Amino acid sequence: MKTGIITAVALVFAARPASAHRLDEYLQATLFSIEKDRVRADIRLTPGVAVLPYVLKTIDTNGDGIIAASEQRAYVGHVMQDLSLNVDGERVPLQLISSQFPSMQEMKDGLGEIQISLTANLPLGGSHRTLVFENHHESPIAAYLVNCLAPADPDIRVSAQNRNYLQSRYQLDYIQAGGSGSSFSSMLAGEWFALAAVLILGIRLAWLAMPHLLNRRTSGSAA
Amino acid sequence: MKTFNKIVLSALMCLTVNLAVGQSQTARIVNAAHTFLATLDQPQRQRVLFAYDDEQQRVRWSNFPTGFVHRAGLSLGELSAAQRSAALALVSSALSSRGFQKVQEIMDGDEALKIKENGNQMFGKDLFFISILGTPSEKDPWMLQFGGHHLALNITIAGDRGILTPSLTAAQPAVYTWNGKTVRPLGQENDKAFALLNALDEGQKKQAILSYRVADLVLGPGQDGKTIQPEGLKVSAMNDQQRAMLLDLISEWAGIVDDSAASARMAELKADLPSTWFAWSGPTAQEPGHYGISYYRIQGPHLVIEYAPQRMGGDPSMHIHTIYRDPTNDYGRGITKK
Repeated sequence: MKTGIITAVALVFAARPASAHRLDEYLQATLFSIEKDRVRADIRLTPGVAVLPYVLKTIDTNGDGIIAASEQRAYVGHVMQDLSLNVDGERVPLQLISSQFPSMQEMKDGLGEIQISLTANLPLGGSHRTLVFENHHESPIAAYLVNCLAPADPDIRVSAQNRNYLQSRYQLDYIQAGGSGSSFSSMLAGEWFALAAVLILGIRLAWLAMPHLLNRRTSGSAA
Repeated sequence: MKTFNKIVLSALMCLTVNLAVGQSQTARIVNAAHTFLATLDQPQRQRVLFAYDDEQQRVRWSNFPTGFVHRAGLSLGELSAAQRSAALALVSSALSSRGFQKVQEIMDGDEALKIKENGNQMFGKDLFFISILGTPSEKDPWMLQFGGHHLALNITIAGDRGILTPSLTAAQPAVYTWNGKTVRPLGQENDKAFALLNALDEGQKKQAILSYRVADLVLGPGQDGKTIQPEGLKVSAMNDQQRAMLLDLISEWAGIVDDSAASARMAELKADLPSTWFAWSGPTAQEPGHYGISYYRIQGPHLVIEYAPQRMGGDPSMHIHTIYRDPTNDYGRGITKK
């Protein structure tokens, strides 16, 4: 299959000026946005003109030069099969929000962008959460980009992002204030309250024990 | 009588000079805009002027050639010599001398590309477009747009403020010969970044260098209003010399606008330095005889700069895309909100 791709790329290189537009890669850029109970992934797929004939075989399956609605749906399903999302070690299904396809001419010019928006409901979990996203769509020709928007919710803080070299695997670690209606400030306030309560209890116990200890020391001295 | 005339003439010259010196930067840009508009006929004026709130025109910019992504406004190629000169004078009035030189070098580079590709009509200096959103004014906000293949300047002028974000500078070929001289439109962006990287200690490099490949701009054209989670080395961990080098690197974008606007912008970005990040992906050294092929990003509360060599079947060091944004104030939206 790889030989087929290389041959197709070589043929297109020979036919077109090698400038201005993406050529021999299939750019797949994913942007995550995190909310408390769900995650959204906006994916932009831009096939280079040199790999377009190969990519089109999977999109325009009947080869009539038109990307029909049914072919669009089928291709989106195909892409989604190549994606996986795990949250806290649990596989989470991705659901389609919307998709948009460029015209065939835009794709032939190397600037056609397929846009797919997905969402997933997050399972209940603790305050430290780990999201792992994998994209294996057309990996021999893919150039992956994965990023996360800075969370708009102040109760969510990204603690780490890790990727493999090709960005086909992306791990996002973040901290989320637990429970609905709670926040980092209320979490911190709660922790301070608990600490203060322990301190007060300790002081109170010491205060109660004081006469007893003093009595023992006095009687000890007398002995 | 002759002596009297000389005195009057001298006084008038002094007055003219004083008026020019006393004229604000915004007034100079507005005057240049009116001078340009005065050279146009009515159909041309209709094509170059857009409503200030025309969102379609505002975002109609790209790294692609104009044959692929249509630009509106007037192209330099359809202007007379006098009109073209006035158009470039307007662009120049809003930029620093260094910024205008960079713009000219990017345009010359596209002309060099046209020659290299046997006169390919997709490229060339004639295919750069100018447009104005709103009415040029010293008080009310308006926008000047200028760009084409590998160039997009979106300059919002709001009173004494000049905002250049979002803008795209790029170059292909990144090195070429023009009038017998070697030209590198984005050479400083490459050289200063490598100098900064090499000034970091091993611990800092470990934080700055990302372990993965970044194949393209993350926040390129069409990605307005997005702020990604920053990565790399936080500038608060840099020493004073490294910070100065980073600011100098940033000035390659922030210094494109006129000196007055650039000075205000640099002060803002300097104040943001402790919350700014520097990230690098790719080789840490340049191959002999070649320029860098590494991606880097500078991101702060009011700044995103990305520098992305393009691997498109050729030498990535010869094809560079960069983006310059202020996620809080792209198109001047942060200061022109009603």
